[in-house]
Amino acid sequence: MTVQLKRPSSLRHFVTPVAVVAVLAVVFAWVATLDLDSIEARTLNAGYLIDRTREHLVLTVVSSALVAVLAIPTAVLAHRVRSRVVRAIVVTLGNIGQATPAVGVVILLAIVWQTGFTTALVSLVAYCFLPVLRNTLTGLEQVDAATREAARGMGMTPNQVLWRIELPLASPVILAGLRTALVFSVGVATIATFINAGGLGDMIVNGLKLQRFSVLLVGAVLVAAIAVLIDWAAGLVEDRVRPRGL
Amino acid sequence: MTGLHLVRLDEFLARRWEDVVDLTLQHLAAVAISLALATAIGVLIGLLVWDRPVPRAVSLTAAGIAITIPSLALLALLSPVLGLGWVPTIVSLVFYSLLPIVRNTVVGLREVPGHLVESARGMGMTSTRVLLTVQLPLAWPVIVTGVRVAAQLTVGIAAIAAYVAGPGLGVYIFRGLSSLGSVNALNFALTGTLCVVLLALLIDGVFVLVTRYSTPRGLRV
Amino acid sequence: MSEPTAGVGIELSDVTKRYPGQKTGAVENFSLKVEPGELLMFVGPSGCGKTTTMKMINRIIEPTSGSITIDGEDVLSLNPDELRRHIGYVIQQIGLFPHMTIAENIGTVPKLLGWSKSRIAERVDELLRTVALDPAVFAKRYPKQLSGGQQQRVGVARALAADPPVMLMDEPFGATDPITRLRLQEEFRRLQADIGKTIIFVTHDFDEAVRLGDRIAVLSERSRIEQCDTPANILAAPANDYVAGFIGRGAGLMRLALIPIGEVSLEAPSAESPALGVDGSLRDALDLLVLTGAERVNVTDAGGAVAGSLTHAGISAALGASRSPAGSAS
Repeated sequence: MTVQLKRPSSLRHFVTPVAVVAVLAVVFAWVATLDLDSIEARTLNAGYLIDRTREHLVLTVVSSALVAVLAIPTAVLAHRVRSRVVRAIVVTLGNIGQATPAVGVVILLAIVWQTGFTTALVSLVAYCFLPVLRNTLTGLEQVDAATREAARGMGMTPNQVLWRIELPLASPVILAGLRTALVFSVGVATIATFINAGGLGDMIVNGLKLQRFSVLLVGAVLVAAIAVLIDWAAGLVEDRVRPRGL
Repeated sequence: MTGLHLVRLDEFLARRWEDVVDLTLQHLAAVAISLALATAIGVLIGLLVWDRPVPRAVSLTAAGIAITIPSLALLALLSPVLGLGWVPTIVSLVFYSLLPIVRNTVVGLREVPGHLVESARGMGMTSTRVLLTVQLPLAWPVIVTGVRVAAQLTVGIAAIAAYVAGPGLGVYIFRGLSSLGSVNALNFALTGTLCVVLLALLIDGVFVLVTRYSTPRGLRV
Repeated sequence: MSEPTAGVGIELSDVTKRYPGQKTGAVENFSLKVEPGELLMFVGPSGCGKTTTMKMINRIIEPTSGSITIDGEDVLSLNPDELRRHIGYVIQQIGLFPHMTIAENIGTVPKLLGWSKSRIAERVDELLRTVALDPAVFAKRYPKQLSGGQQQRVGVARALAADPPVMLMDEPFGATDPITRLRLQEEFRRLQADIGKTIIFVTHDFDEAVRLGDRIAVLSERSRIEQCDTPANILAAPANDYVAGFIGRGAGLMRLALIPIGEVSLEAPSAESPALGVDGSLRDALDLLVLTGAERVNVTDAGGAVAGSLTHAGISAALGASRSPAGSAS
């Protein structure tokens, strides 16, 4: 039996980003061979691409960070309270939240409030809050009761049990929830284009409206590439942060 | 704040309820068709790759990537080839449903205790027969859960399909967007969104029943 | 290495536990005095309240009424977390922390008490060796890499880490196979002989209680003490039918197993009788008599020389004399 628990070999893990970069390279190479008309030229240049990508990433990352900062402490509190009512409320709201279409939330918020970047950010946070909250709560509850009792029986205060035992043991589930939220956010940030929030959705929508396939393709492939890469990166973090021995 | 007033939502609904019902049925049809296709394809893939590590890893990774691609991007990418409307909608919904279904099929089949498979083989059953008459029924609850997850996903994603002239309640949601500033904008968007929510909850409820009644008697807890 | 802390006395007076909505409690008016350094077994069927009673001592379950003192100090007036850091606690499911190494698991309470890293490391090594696990191999492993019996030993080591004077153990060897359990019991008996802590040990296995305990409290519903006495006294004179039911048959043989040959006066040896060592029990002697059909068996001392002999009559006499005067039931 090995003395040290080995982490999975990381060479296999580089297949994904290599494949993504290859696809991007092919697409850009193809675009380079095209004669671009004025509309396409305005869109398919480095400046425009970088701007849209930056907007998209900011939306995704900032909203996910906000969700983490808001939802995880809330879940910890809900867990501490240990009330069945609270739990039932969280689960019910979570179910309703999951049944709600993202595009509906985005557009409703835009109608009721205003269009633009801030609205997109708020709707992203609102949309991802409940799944992360529910995931974190479930993760904390799944910690084995015997482990918890042993910890309290040894004299750990409730806070110590939370930080040293419950959170580390729940971390795989919590991280999985955050990873899903991140990937979701990339998708919903694409929809943000409908409410003038910018992002790569702009390219897709323009490409469709103006019947310029090249613009459409680059926008769609870029957004897909970002989503896949973020998912891959989140997976790496998940593996690294997961406590050994679990 | 601009539109925070439900101007005559009741009148709005009274006038358009036929529309709403029609769109809801379209939405339901789109979801049902794609789920049916995805289940057939997904379970088949699962049956073929569950015990072969390399094809299994490839299928799961491919399905995983499919679900990671943002829905608008996928719809847009399909449009030059498949046009607009029902076809690209169904195709992309099937794509998205594949991961939960394939993954749950594989997991469900693998979790069937080894000794059951062994005793079945010991009785003289071929491995295909064991797969279909022993493993598949035992894995069924897990598979149905996968279809249920896929259903929840597709109900939400189908709402975006309206942007590429697809069917369903997304039409109302986007109508709300395009009539931004007008009196009925909120009514349209709210009706569309709420109907999607209700439809999703309803479908989930149906799945709870389906799971219970299609699980073999001996397995029911 | 270090001199282990000697055990201290525990006293429970009229301890009652009633859950809301219950008319009669899970534990009613439980009173018991545990002597320093004593290994006291709580024996009873499931649901009799023995575990509940034990868990009130470290306030995992709070008593409804009554008082509990450890070394004279009222347990209920202390901060519960502080209290528990000075009580070793072993539960049935062990509860090793899966995300920590064995060394980190064992070092949990010392770390809570603020020991230095080097002191903790030394202590971990010492304890692993005490429970017969090689520190070089096991310290860095994770619980899931250990067998059930090994995990249980780590659980005991973890409870001993901060050298508490009192230990509470709830069926600690329950989740192992019978062979491993016997071995663990044997090792534990030797360990307790060295360290002399005050231990309350809950079990439903009467044989285990007889094998390990200095005294046994036989409990019935609501943790009622049917009899509390040394194993030998209980076996010789069960207080009522309930206790007798626990003992089952073969009480005489069980008692013989508790009497070492060395404590009994021997008769003159004979030339051709079969022999056994003086380190055995009277039951071993009887076993040999029955197996060989001989009239008497010779007893050899540590050096191999014949020291005396035993007959059936001599063994029965020793049994009759083995009851200690005035069996104590508190």
